[in-house]
Amino acid sequence: MRFMIIRKADADTEAGKLPSESLLSAMMQYNEAMVNAGVMKAGEGLQPSAKGARIKFHGGKPTVTDGPFAEARELIAGFTIIEVKSRQEALDWVRRWPPEDANGELELELRQIYEAEDLGEQFTPELRAQEDRLRARIDGQSAAPDRAP
Amino acid sequence: MKFMMIIKADASSEAGVMPDEKLLLAMGRYNQSLIDAGVLLAAEGLHPSSRGARVHVADGKRTVVDGPFAETRELIAGFWMIQVKSREEAIEWARRVPFEVGGSTTAGGTGQIEVRQVFDAADFAPALEHSTEGRALLDAEQAFRDRTNT
Repeated sequence: MRFMIIRKADADTEAGKLPSESLLSAMMQYNEAMVNAGVMKAGEGLQPSAKGARIKFHGGKPTVTDGPFAEARELIAGFTIIEVKSRQEALDWVRRWPPEDANGELELELRQIYEAEDLGEQFTPELRAQEDRLRARIDGQSAAPDRAP
Repeated sequence: MKFMMIIKADASSEAGVMPDEKLLLAMGRYNQSLIDAGVLLAAEGLHPSSRGARVHVADGKRTVVDGPFAETRELIAGFWMIQVKSREEAIEWARRVPFEVGGSTTAGGTGQIEVRQVFDAADFAPALEHSTEGRALLDAEQAFRDRTNT
């Protein structure tokens, strides 16, 4: 099963404050540990919402609002995707997040990722075959190891 | 430039309502167009927060709180990762997300996508390039990214 560990935004990430050398070093060690355990599938950091935008849809019509967005609690600053055997194993990894981050004051959110088999019977064999083809093409384009056997 | 298109959670995504066939087909066509344009790197949907947890870290001490979490506005329901040439191109793709289909998880044409730029290893250079140790870390970061392709 796959999980997404979400690093919530805070005032520093929204201010575009770059991580210190010691934090980058600690994150690197954490990521290496996850790669060595064969669980890390992806991980990215996001630039402040000031560089982003929101697209609201009403009646299917999009309206664009440029960032920044004031509510840091509603924002995410980064994520890591892991593949593990249980929710407990995922939580154990979250607990090992480097304490150097945000001087040890932060919030992480753990969320389970949908797999094709979770979608039920409305995910018809035809749709499933299409999904498999799409994922194979994504892997081919990005050479991302996410889905590699 | 890499961008993340975040689909924000709403009442139905938090209730675990699954997309119907019509919406799945529309999303399939949208994803196909992203792939045909050569921009799609990844796309995932998240289970409701009721199956998740939060880990609060304070003074370096960890406290686990199980979901669900009430503030739907603070939650995300899924994302696309795309590689494009500009912020405008990323926003143009976000405008094309098929919300007009309605269906169970897009609340009948209403919803929100957040577009956020993703850090490259090079973005950390200003913090690191002043020292030998920093430059070594920067190289290690790039090598790590090359290895994990993230």
